[in-house]
Amino acid sequence: MKLPSLGAIGSVAYKEFLHIYRDRRVLVLLLILPPVFTLIFGHAFEVGELTNVPALLSDADNTPRSERFIALALTNKTFAWRLQSPQVGGETDLLGKRVRAAAIIPAGWSQSLDNGDPKPLRFYLDGADTNTAEQLEGSLQQTLGKFQMNERQVMIDELPEEVFELGKKLPEKVRKQFVSAMTPWAIEAKVLYNPKSRFIEYVTPGVIGLILQLITVTLMACTIARERESGTLYQLLVTSLRRSEIVIGKILPYLAISVLLILIIILLMGWHFHVKFHQHTILAVICFLFLLCSLGLGLLISAFSRTQTQAIQFSVFFLLPVFVLSGAFAPLDQLPKMIRYFAELFPLTHFCRAFRLVNLYRADFSYLTIDLAALCFGVLITFVGAAFLLKRIEQ
Amino acid sequence: MSEPVIVLDRLSKFYGHVHAVEDLSFSIDSGEIFGFLGANGAGKTTTMRMLCGLTKPTKGKAIIADNDVWRQRHAVRTKFGYVAQRFSLYPDLTVLENMRFFGGAYRVPRGELEKRINNLLLQTDLEAKRETAAGSLSGGMRQLLALGCALVHNPPLLFLDEPTSGLDPVHRQQMWNLLYDLSHDGITIFITTHYMDEAERCTAVGFIESGHLLAKASPRGLIESFSTKLLEIEVDPVMPALVRLREEPDILGVSLRSGSLRIYAAEPQKLLARWKQQWPYPDIKWCGERWVEPDMEDVFTAYSQGYTALLKPLTE
Repeated sequence: MKLPSLGAIGSVAYKEFLHIYRDRRVLVLLLILPPVFTLIFGHAFEVGELTNVPALLSDADNTPRSERFIALALTNKTFAWRLQSPQVGGETDLLGKRVRAAAIIPAGWSQSLDNGDPKPLRFYLDGADTNTAEQLEGSLQQTLGKFQMNERQVMIDELPEEVFELGKKLPEKVRKQFVSAMTPWAIEAKVLYNPKSRFIEYVTPGVIGLILQLITVTLMACTIARERESGTLYQLLVTSLRRSEIVIGKILPYLAISVLLILIIILLMGWHFHVKFHQHTILAVICFLFLLCSLGLGLLISAFSRTQTQAIQFSVFFLLPVFVLSGAFAPLDQLPKMIRYFAELFPLTHFCRAFRLVNLYRADFSYLTIDLAALCFGVLITFVGAAFLLKRIEQ
Repeated sequence: MSEPVIVLDRLSKFYGHVHAVEDLSFSIDSGEIFGFLGANGAGKTTTMRMLCGLTKPTKGKAIIADNDVWRQRHAVRTKFGYVAQRFSLYPDLTVLENMRFFGGAYRVPRGELEKRINNLLLQTDLEAKRETAAGSLSGGMRQLLALGCALVHNPPLLFLDEPTSGLDPVHRQQMWNLLYDLSHDGITIFITTHYMDEAERCTAVGFIESGHLLAKASPRGLIESFSTKLLEIEVDPVMPALVRLREEPDILGVSLRSGSLRIYAAEPQKLLARWKQQWPYPDIKWCGERWVEPDMEDVFTAYSQGYTALLKPLTE
């Protein structure tokens, strides 16, 4: 078997480069879109917690205690409270009031607390987005808990001296148990791997992978399809070029551009979003394998498609589930088991996992073997598949 | 006697039940300009694609310069150039870039390539357009560029699939002048065409119909295979006469040539004698008649329409 000729590969690669260079609109998109996407996605995922959610607060109790609660609630940054008089009503019409939640302090609330039969606060939530509703409820519950502790301290401060004298007569063990019961039980949490809990650190591989896969797969998918559509493929196939030379020659310019794009995205992530990158060599290996996998996939789609339109359609059909199910922006563990197995078919899944293992967990090579092997397997399958399809076209 | 460059031996291609090409057996000698003629869908392009190693033959084989065109297709591809039916170069690349690319693809050594390209640019009259994008060239210039790209590796054999289709007469003539020069230099040319005047310019012509080779000979030999001169009549009005004469039982076919009707019949003398006695169409005026030598269009019509009664066995 003859080895591919470097001169022949160079001819194909130079021709492909000229196609990219001459198509100025695509070239501009290629150079501008990735940094723009990085900024947009980065800012979109920079803050992981909810803030300034528009909400109504109505005080039907109108007592000093309810006012103290409102004062505390206003310090909660999750909500952008709009106070409304209880006479106005219509708190359940969240859409009409243009809010995501509405809290009502019921009449007689303060009295009910004094009577030992506390009335609950009413809280209406927009459940269309289940995650947001849960977070809002949790946040208000937290404020209420804090308010309860404040009120308890006031109550303790106002207790008559006799109560303390009576307490001193209790056995020491009971006294200690009482103190423990009255003290909020705490968790001493220490966040590892992403100590500042910055969501951007988690989604960085997702942002890089998504942009790269979108560009490499769609651009690469058009290469052979374009030759086939314009009739130049047969002209190529009657030359002395071998299939391997055509495939390698077509991939090289896109590989070079993709490497440049990765560097731009990583620099932007580091400079603008202060994302730190560690173990550069291993990250480079992961990125390189992922790029080859994506380019191979584009090539496979290209060899399978008869026209450029078909190639773009196949690319979109492939990329859509990848973006949703690959764990790029949400933990894969939250998905059902069967879907998780399905997601393992996507190169982006392995790229994101391997990237996070290196960059967040500082994991060594032994943790990455399965994902790296999967990416290598992907490269092999897509390239062999594309070569096979080219052979079918040739015949 | 020159050696055959191409040898087809029962070459066949079937697509399911469709026999696109069946049992083609003939050879083409070195330096020949071989015109491959046939109606659309007759099997010309399929044959050419098999010879170029682009389609696997279902049966039989073809040999080019002692190499099997399919099994040794990589070796064969260095020995020919191919000009496709439609423009198949890169429109966004310049004339020079297209030539350089194909030179690289055919592994022409770099030092030799520039010299070769310069010669071809002169030959194809594209010197002034070397920096022009191929997509901006006129149809004729594009085909000349395609020819230049097919010749960049100096092949001994050239395949051209209807290269002059859609070209103006000036560019057609320019293309043929180039082909004569190439043939004079010893290059064998295999060309498919619809133009009968072009078929007459070939040194040998093959007729294919429904995947079968009907005849192969020199244009002179094919014309001489007509057993009779052809009767051409002048009538007025001509179109109603054409329609009615086609219905005549003794007439195989009628074609319109420069305002006259050319009659294909086994015994045209008898027909003329009968018409001289009594012209059967009183509403159509008889203006005169003459006897003409058949040309390639008549040959093509006779072979493609199966007018075997008009043809003698080929002597070549």
